[in-house]
Amino acid sequence: MTTIAAPARRELALPGPVSAVIEFLRVLSRKPVGLAGLFGVVFFLALAYLAPLVVPLQDRVDVTAIYSAPSFGHPLGTDYQGRDVLNQIVYGGQDIITTAILAALFSTLIAITFGAIAATLGGRADVLILAITDVALTIPQLVLLIVIAAIFRPTSFISLAIILALLQWPALLRQIRAQVLSLKERDFVEAARSLDLGLLHIVFREMLPNMRSYIAINFIIAMTYAIYAQAAIMFLGLVPLSGKSWAIMLYFAYNQGALFFKDSFFYLMGPIMAIALFQLSLVWLASGLEDVFNPRLRS
Amino acid sequence: MPILSVRGLSIEYRTRRGPIHAVRDVSFDLEQGETLAIIGESGSGKTTLAVGLVRLSPRSARITGGQIVYDSGRERVAVLELDSEELRRFRWAECAMVFQAALSAFNPVITIWEHFFDTGRAHGMHDRHRVHDRARELLHLVHLDPDRILSAYAHELSGGMRQRVLIAMALLLDPRIVILDEPTTALDILTQRAIIDLLRELRRKLHFATIFISHDLSMAAELADRMLTMYAGRIVERAGVDDLFYRPRHPYSIGLLRAVPRVSGALGSVASIPGSPPDLIRLPRGCTYYPRCPFHVDDCRESDPPLLPVDTPGHEAACIRWEAVAARIGSAAKPVAEKLA
Amino acid sequence: MATLIELDGVSRRYATPGGTITAVDDVSLALAAGDALCIVGESGCGKTTTGRMLAGLLRPTSGRLFFEGRDVWRTKGDDLARFRRAVQIVHQDPYASLNPSRTIAQTLAAPLGKHKKLHGRGARAAMIALLERVGLTPAEDLLVKYPHQLSGGQRQRVSIARALTVDPRVIVADEAVSMVDVSIRISLLDLLHSLSREFHVATVLITHDLAVARYFARGGRIAVMYLGRVVELAETESLVADPAHPYAVALIAAIPEADPTITRTKEHVTLRSAEVPSLLALPSGCTFHPRCPLSEAGLCDVVVPALEDLPGGRSVACHVAVRERRPAAELLGVR
Repeated sequence: MTTIAAPARRELALPGPVSAVIEFLRVLSRKPVGLAGLFGVVFFLALAYLAPLVVPLQDRVDVTAIYSAPSFGHPLGTDYQGRDVLNQIVYGGQDIITTAILAALFSTLIAITFGAIAATLGGRADVLILAITDVALTIPQLVLLIVIAAIFRPTSFISLAIILALLQWPALLRQIRAQVLSLKERDFVEAARSLDLGLLHIVFREMLPNMRSYIAINFIIAMTYAIYAQAAIMFLGLVPLSGKSWAIMLYFAYNQGALFFKDSFFYLMGPIMAIALFQLSLVWLASGLEDVFNPRLRS
Repeated sequence: MPILSVRGLSIEYRTRRGPIHAVRDVSFDLEQGETLAIIGESGSGKTTLAVGLVRLSPRSARITGGQIVYDSGRERVAVLELDSEELRRFRWAECAMVFQAALSAFNPVITIWEHFFDTGRAHGMHDRHRVHDRARELLHLVHLDPDRILSAYAHELSGGMRQRVLIAMALLLDPRIVILDEPTTALDILTQRAIIDLLRELRRKLHFATIFISHDLSMAAELADRMLTMYAGRIVERAGVDDLFYRPRHPYSIGLLRAVPRVSGALGSVASIPGSPPDLIRLPRGCTYYPRCPFHVDDCRESDPPLLPVDTPGHEAACIRWEAVAARIGSAAKPVAEKLA
Repeated sequence: MATLIELDGVSRRYATPGGTITAVDDVSLALAAGDALCIVGESGCGKTTTGRMLAGLLRPTSGRLFFEGRDVWRTKGDDLARFRRAVQIVHQDPYASLNPSRTIAQTLAAPLGKHKKLHGRGARAAMIALLERVGLTPAEDLLVKYPHQLSGGQRQRVSIARALTVDPRVIVADEAVSMVDVSIRISLLDLLHSLSREFHVATVLITHDLAVARYFARGGRIAVMYLGRVVELAETESLVADPAHPYAVALIAAIPEADPTITRTKEHVTLRSAEVPSLLALPSGCTFHPRCPLSEAGLCDVVVPALEDLPGGRSVACHVAVRERRPAAELLGVR
């Protein structure tokens, strides 16, 4: 249906970023799941990065309060040494989330760069990149991860993030390549070629903006994978277990035999729920983002 | 006695911005055996109307008023009051619809014979042999080779063959009304010609009435007995085919006629209609064509005029300026574009 | 007038699992500045492939493309870039031809900035002038819009404005009006037509609709294609009034007209076969011979007819019409 073009609405002049955020929330608010996801993600990020600045660390051992049930003093109960579980949740988020963000960032960068190169150049570059990708895809990831982690024993979250990223890029690369291949055939890309706008313009201005939703959603999904992978290798005790992390909490819970105590239910549930709820928030946010990037739904 | 009689039919689509008034207060009769063409731009409501007649509208559509009465010869049926079982019988046995023969009109994994059989079975023809005989007979009628077609899959057929198959399937239960929605769009010229000739031949042999929806005026000129022009959901002109093409009395009909160049004869004064159709959610007051109309006067803004009888019999136009239009266009049997040249 | 752009005996073949398809076979077309040419034909006739080769978007399998006398596929660097900009294409689908995630201003600003060094206020003024030139007013309001906020006709106008940013010498419009509403087609054709007048742009419209071709190419020429070959090339009015090739005759006779009397009394040509041969197994000789009522055994099914001149500035690829020195419309007794 065609409508007569309405004159542009006069709007309050807000600084660009502020109106962009308002616009983002406006579109996201149409999808309750996406909004819930956003709140969840913001909550956990605040919990992991801001709460430790306010809440003092409590790692005093208290043998009188081992595996106590939630109470006013210990809202999520205590662990095998009587330490507060909530406090550990607060302090255990930062490393696991930072690592996940970095891993997602590295893998997305690798996938975009090489996926776009393969699709735009075609020919031998494409064949070579695809061959490497396929080989990487066929290796059982968790097994490889365990082997690498056992050999390199990554000590910093950056090195751990790089290892995770090296395992995650292949699937995304194939998808990016397919996207670029289909965009390449689109009329507006052909028009840009005809107008001699140059390869950089075509890739960064014509194609990538049309893949934003795709990239953002894949970034978030890559974060969820990175969190599961961390949980897995930490649970297996394959990385030096210094510091605090939800995954390390699970490792200790298991190693200290918490599984065999009925009283330890709340101790176990703490990190499990933290991981599960954060993952759920990420997935919900990803599904809401689909709408945000659709220009049709913008005003 | 008309075979189908529509009175005051209104159909809306619900959207986030509010209801789209896609069909507004439409009334017309379809006589036994005649061909009625509905023309208009996209968004004029012609497809919504056609689909609404057999109640195949999408979920977001709602019939907000009016009635549709089908006269089967034995009894009068209020189509809007049929339950789903009665509606299914009505849809194929009395009133069949032929869509554009896109590949998507077929199930890609079953043969044409299975399409025929499924259609027959869904409408109470359970006898395999009877359906088979009827399918062969109909395929002969649409000039296809039954042996080859029945065992084929849709993708093995050309566009023209698929359109013939759809027409044959529509005739399976001997309907008395056939609704054709853009039956030749996307077909090549020579194929299109063959389908037009086929439709004319079938109509002569089988005597069904046809409602024919197209944005292609030349198809209407070729097949129609009577014409309806739709604009912004309403019927704005109703006329016999010659009257509409040579003596249109609504400025929108004139606009449509002038917008289509011809291959034979003089080109005449060809022109597009300026502006664009109104927003069907927020309709303007007065005549909806007013902003685009070269004949408008201030009074046109006051109210949306009803269909008024004009200077030729059996011809109505929803325009208070029809006399000015008649004075400009005259009554000679010549195309409008030539008269305005 | 001097030839601006020319296809010289181009063919385009594709390898498919079923064998080699010849989409375009030995087509030659030449245009001078300001010329209007329509390429018409049914689906599969090779008209779009021909248009894409003319626009330099597709490399011919054999044959050459000349622009201002230079063999385009042998030029490199700046010369090739200049050719690219000189020939612009307007696509069929108004919903695919503009980048959905870029505003109209962004779409137009990129070529203006890159090739005309126009930025900021200068670019804005140029964009507004272009949008007004293609009939989009008020232009200021349009600049901030995304394509999905425009109607199909408006998008096609933006596509034309985008092509004009680089001052093209040739515009190839591939079915540029077939997906917009009937009521506004003429105004788009008028716009394209006016460009050839005003800027001396050579315009090529590819269409399946002969009525559209007749209107657009009035004063120009129409080329009729069938199964990869140009079968007739003539001035518009003589082609539609008195077609010389039997296929063109059949085509024009088959078209329904928006005039009840004419369309009901039109004489149709009965072809010998309704079946269009597959591109994988093209008939020998003249590809139209299995369907042609004038076909002569031993001639038409053996020898490929060349495009030869008939009186009245027309060329036709038909043994019979050329030998009889008469258009097939007369030979078939149509009109």
